[in-house]
Amino acid sequence: MSGLRIQNLSRQLGNRLLLDGLELTVAPGECLALLGPSGCGKTTTLRLVAGLDQPSSGRILLGGEDITGQPAGQRQVAMVFQSYALYPHLSVADNLALGLRVRGVPAQEREQRIATVLELLQLGNLRSRRPAQLSGGQRQRVALARALLRQPRVMLLDEPMSNLDAQLREELRPELRRLLCGAEPPVLYVTHDQQEALGLADRIAVLKDGRLQQLGLPRQLYEDPANLFVASFLGRPAINLLPAEGGRLLGLRPEHLRPTAAEGLPARLQRREWWGHQQLLLLDTPRGELRLLLPSGSEPGDSFQLDWPRACELWFEARSGERLRGFGSENTRAL
Amino acid sequence: MRALVLLWSLGPLFLQLFSSLVTPETLVDPGKIAGGGHWTLANYRALLGASPSFGRYLLNSAVVGSGTTALTLLLAVPCAYGLQRQRGAMRWSVMAALLGAALFPTVLLFLALLGLARRFDLGNDLLALSLPYAGLSLPLAVLLLRTAIADLPPELEEAAQLEGLDFGERVRHVLLPLLSPALASTAILVFLFSWNEYPIALTWISRADRLTLPTAISRIAGSSVYAVPYGAFAAATVLGSLPLLLLVLLFQRSIVSGLTQGAIKG
Amino acid sequence: MSPGLLEGLLMLPALLLLALVFLWPLGAMAWLSGQASSVLTGLTALPNGGANWLRLLGDGRFWQDAGQTLRFALVSVVLELLLGLGLALLLQRPGRGRAWLRTLTLLPWALPTTVMALGWRWIYNDPFGPLNALLGLLGIGPYGFLSNPATSWLFTVLADVWKTTPFVALLLLAGLQSIPLELRESLELEGAGRWQRLRHLTLPLLLPYLSLALLFRLTQALGVFDLVQVLTGGGPAGSTESLALYAYLNAMRFLDFGYSATVVMGTFVLLLLAVSLALLLWRRSQPHRRPA
Repeated sequence: MSGLRIQNLSRQLGNRLLLDGLELTVAPGECLALLGPSGCGKTTTLRLVAGLDQPSSGRILLGGEDITGQPAGQRQVAMVFQSYALYPHLSVADNLALGLRVRGVPAQEREQRIATVLELLQLGNLRSRRPAQLSGGQRQRVALARALLRQPRVMLLDEPMSNLDAQLREELRPELRRLLCGAEPPVLYVTHDQQEALGLADRIAVLKDGRLQQLGLPRQLYEDPANLFVASFLGRPAINLLPAEGGRLLGLRPEHLRPTAAEGLPARLQRREWWGHQQLLLLDTPRGELRLLLPSGSEPGDSFQLDWPRACELWFEARSGERLRGFGSENTRAL
Repeated sequence: MRALVLLWSLGPLFLQLFSSLVTPETLVDPGKIAGGGHWTLANYRALLGASPSFGRYLLNSAVVGSGTTALTLLLAVPCAYGLQRQRGAMRWSVMAALLGAALFPTVLLFLALLGLARRFDLGNDLLALSLPYAGLSLPLAVLLLRTAIADLPPELEEAAQLEGLDFGERVRHVLLPLLSPALASTAILVFLFSWNEYPIALTWISRADRLTLPTAISRIAGSSVYAVPYGAFAAATVLGSLPLLLLVLLFQRSIVSGLTQGAIKG
Repeated sequence: MSPGLLEGLLMLPALLLLALVFLWPLGAMAWLSGQASSVLTGLTALPNGGANWLRLLGDGRFWQDAGQTLRFALVSVVLELLLGLGLALLLQRPGRGRAWLRTLTLLPWALPTTVMALGWRWIYNDPFGPLNALLGLLGIGPYGFLSNPATSWLFTVLADVWKTTPFVALLLLAGLQSIPLELRESLELEGAGRWQRLRHLTLPLLLPYLSLALLFRLTQALGVFDLVQVLTGGGPAGSTESLALYAYLNAMRFLDFGYSATVVMGTFVLLLLAVSLALLLWRRSQPHRRPA
């Protein structure tokens, strides 16, 4: 079996569990995003796979081979660090060459491989610059080039875009997809940015407090979240949560609510944020404050009735946060 | 304000320069300068022509200084690296001990160190003098270098680790190049200490041709308290200062940054 | 290899040398201070049952030197901190040639103490030195700067202040540079003047740097040796003799190694007392800013 397989992986630090029994597989050519708030264990997972940290229990298999105890240098993994970790005293070309040189790759082959990857990333004209002379986006590409050059058995990326501004992030996303996803080595991509994960990854694993919350396709996670945490972590503006009878919560995404002429939930407009292509309305209702997302052109007036498709309802148990399935429209009146 | 500060700092230095370049008659009555040239290089000629020549002392000090600097860095770099990798409590207690040692007035150690020289017959040996000098410089050197190592982002070493560099290769290709500014400023501070150290050299060295600069100067000064050859004095201070002036002017940035970086965190 | 072993091994050579030049001497001198070891014993060490320490307690010269050393240290350190702070503020102010100003003011610190002590000996010379020449211009007779037992210590302080103030200034400059500009600007926007900014912002944030400078200068000044040995030789009439110089004279001139070791250990004890007292006063004056 090829690809990356993580079995029951745990990491304890003092009496704190950074990672608690993680199970994952990433197939060759697949890009899996680890998504979660800071401290959820996503970077820990990455460092364990890289060999920069040792697990307390569990196994890591790469191409069927158990690499759990192997030193980092022998695992043939590549990692793009959040800070890029470019050697500040070396030029771009030398940054790329160092690893090859140490592994005894002959000068000619080295030169050729570097030239290829520089061209792939359109860095050819920057080869003699120092990292300090590069922009943030350029640095990220050099770090990516260094990782690709490693011809890794698994590619690890630790928040590679978090130091870039929003516009650049958007520009680079398709580029990153082109370079990473679909190529042979499996990709493990850590991010706290849901948009990045949704837009880039084949599958997403949502982590919280060291535990896997849900693993699935981006669309699956959004439309069919396993629990309250996943439902509220994904989606901006955040999902509306209405308290209901029996210690239950009804989750309704802001884009699923709509004003109706028929009888529904009475709402009064409190405040409006105009976002250009859309507008966010903050509403006062008998069930608390709700967020409603509408096309920017619509003018529902100051007070109206609210309705939603029953199929979009997401029910949770308030205390445990567990999803209540098969709990449908007939219960809506229980509000 | 600035002019006043410069006058205060540099005035005494210029006085020395002036005193070294005039005849004794002019020295005691500078008014004579106006009446015609009484400049002379006689003081310098006398110093350099003496036996042993003053140049010998400069050379001796340079030998001790280089030996000390090399030995200190050789020991301090691994120590600083190891220290930074220690657990918190261990690290802090070693650092507190080092700080205590760095604060300790080294003059109080001269007697016991003299005993050391006697027991192992190290007296009058310039390179052997590097041993206590290196020992005395180590606390500051280790503290400065540890700060520099702590300031390096850990990802750099991790990235090198992932690329398959072993420990030695990481030291050579990543750690040392990144530390070079800190190494330079530490080296200069150690060299300054060694060049200026007095009490230990005074007790370890007795042969005239092995004297380091500070001991040679004090020997000239000690000749007589009253009929002192001040012109020769001044020439000696100028010659003794010149190498340091050059060093400080050349490496001003390193010295200032080295002291300022390491000062507090150490 | 178990984790941590390599790191320990890396530290070992340096720690061994440190033990050799710091710990071993202290131990050796503590031992020697209990021995008679002088020309009278043929320089062999013979236990003399604490006679050295009894002698130390009754040794007027030791206690006089202790007082003089403390006086020298306190006055020079206070002056150096005050002038050093002023100099640091000046060096921090932006302006043309600031880098050069920093370097040039640092020069006195970089030169060997013995060299500059010699220079000051000429400056203080009676009657020909430049300082007396200056007094002459003002119509004041020549003054024996280094020959008056009542005042000569002041001139050793002056020479020390000249040499070490730049070092203190540099340390404090590092502290000043660590204070973010925004803090100063925000206080300025609130209408604080220069003096108020110094009092409420600069000095509190400079405190760790000031205390480090104080600690370092205090211990070094209590061990003053080079300067007095070359400038005055301890005279006139022993009025500038320091403890370190007394220890040196006992060993190298009177060839009484046992007693010299006792003087060194006595000095060490006084040094520890002075530093602990300084730290205690320090802590007492800062009750509200002790972090957990």
